[in-house]
Amino acid sequence: MTEILTPLMNIGQYFIALLKGVPISLAVTVSAFLVGAILGIPLVLMRRSQYWLPRTLARVYIDVIRGIPPVVWLFIIFFGVGSSIIAFTPTQAAILGMGMISAGYLAEIYRGGFLAIPPGQTLASVALGLTRIDSLRFVLAPQVLRVSLPAMATYFISLLKDTTVASTIGVRDVMMLVTQQAQAAGGGFGPFIAAAVIYILLSIPVAAFARVMDAKLRQRVSR
Amino acid sequence: MNADQKPARASAAAEPIVSLKNIDIRYGNFHAIKNVSLDVYRGEVVAMVGPSGAGKSTLLRAINMLETPVSGTLKVGNFSFTLDHELSQKELLLLRRSTGMVFQQFNLFPHMTVEKNISLPQMRVLGRSKEEADKVTARLLERVQLADKAKSYPARLSGGQQQRIAIARALALDPQVMLFDEPTSALDPELGLEVLAVMRELANDGMTMIVVTHEIAFAAEVADRVIVMADGEIIEQGTPEEVIRNPRLPRTQKFFRAILDRH
Repeated sequence: MTEILTPLMNIGQYFIALLKGVPISLAVTVSAFLVGAILGIPLVLMRRSQYWLPRTLARVYIDVIRGIPPVVWLFIIFFGVGSSIIAFTPTQAAILGMGMISAGYLAEIYRGGFLAIPPGQTLASVALGLTRIDSLRFVLAPQVLRVSLPAMATYFISLLKDTTVASTIGVRDVMMLVTQQAQAAGGGFGPFIAAAVIYILLSIPVAAFARVMDAKLRQRVSR
Repeated sequence: MNADQKPARASAAAEPIVSLKNIDIRYGNFHAIKNVSLDVYRGEVVAMVGPSGAGKSTLLRAINMLETPVSGTLKVGNFSFTLDHELSQKELLLLRRSTGMVFQQFNLFPHMTVEKNISLPQMRVLGRSKEEADKVTARLLERVQLADKAKSYPARLSGGQQQRIAIARALALDPQVMLFDEPTSALDPELGLEVLAVMRELANDGMTMIVVTHEIAFAAEVADRVIVMADGEIIEQGTPEEVIRNPRLPRTQKFFRAILDRH
């Protein structure tokens, strides 16, 4: 019995030790998400372009980025690009790499948002004589953002978990600390339970936000 | 509105304000509009009727180039285009700024208040300040009798109210001609009436209007001219008296008989 109970009793202790990794885990996730949210905008505009070239470039980017496992992508950036062209710190490489991946996914989320907007909205903007930029800025973008928010929140949660791969290139996030704790403890699942609790606690507020936004959205759309 | 006023108003200006010449529209093999010409004069109210698929909405949308004709010439107000080249974005904007359009589905912007729906295009398209724009908006809301809804969101309004807001939004840009694309088709009859009342008032104020509609009673009462379309062509036109009560062609007779039978 004690073999199982001892690690369990130590969970609280592991939990406190792992909290030190929370700021860096959050920083990488939030930064990568912001990079992706911003880069996703030109990407979705290219993807929806009436011209063949930007449309194809965007599609290839999205397909490539979604086809590569995050850990492979981070290795390419950190060990490949990082060692031969520009020197990145592990954190920079993680933010850049996860940001580029996020851009691909968020562009697709935005694209779904555009498709959800009734064509009459564009028709009305055009008939009023709004320029394309104005129509995008004042009519389409706010509606696309509103429709996309729940999916964006869901993506944020999955990004939070995906960024655990950053520890493989040396980012001192929660995952890195877990590995160290587990090695120091010489086995046992205590540190992993503690890590699981931390990740759940981090994602709950985001999930709650997604639900609230979703409910609000439905309210707005229906009478 | 009394009948003998209408022809006088229609013929007051010699120069047409909207002029379509030899307009052709094709979708692949489908010839949607076949060499149609149409002149509309300042202050004239033109009703376009005909069976669905006749090309009424397509022709209406050619006037502000929401549909792109393959050939022909198009004149709206001071802007005149020969459609032998692709129009530049700037030309298209000029054209669209001189026309106001009202859609079957209203197409208000759901994330903006009623006031912003009407004011924002004025600020962006005409460069009015917010104060100027809001003043115009207040006046127009008064005119469509929805002054109390300025701060409401469209989803809170009835279809009839939304359509009146859509009319106000188009009017706010001082168009030279108003294009109505089946403005009451998505409304139940009662709500349709309040929209028709606003349109009747607009006509009385001398606005040039082209109305695609199935409301034959409205066409008979308000229109100066009724145009009957079928299979991409204008097959008959004239005063409501001539066209609706004494149609010449068997095709037109059949169309109006079907509508009258329904009522």
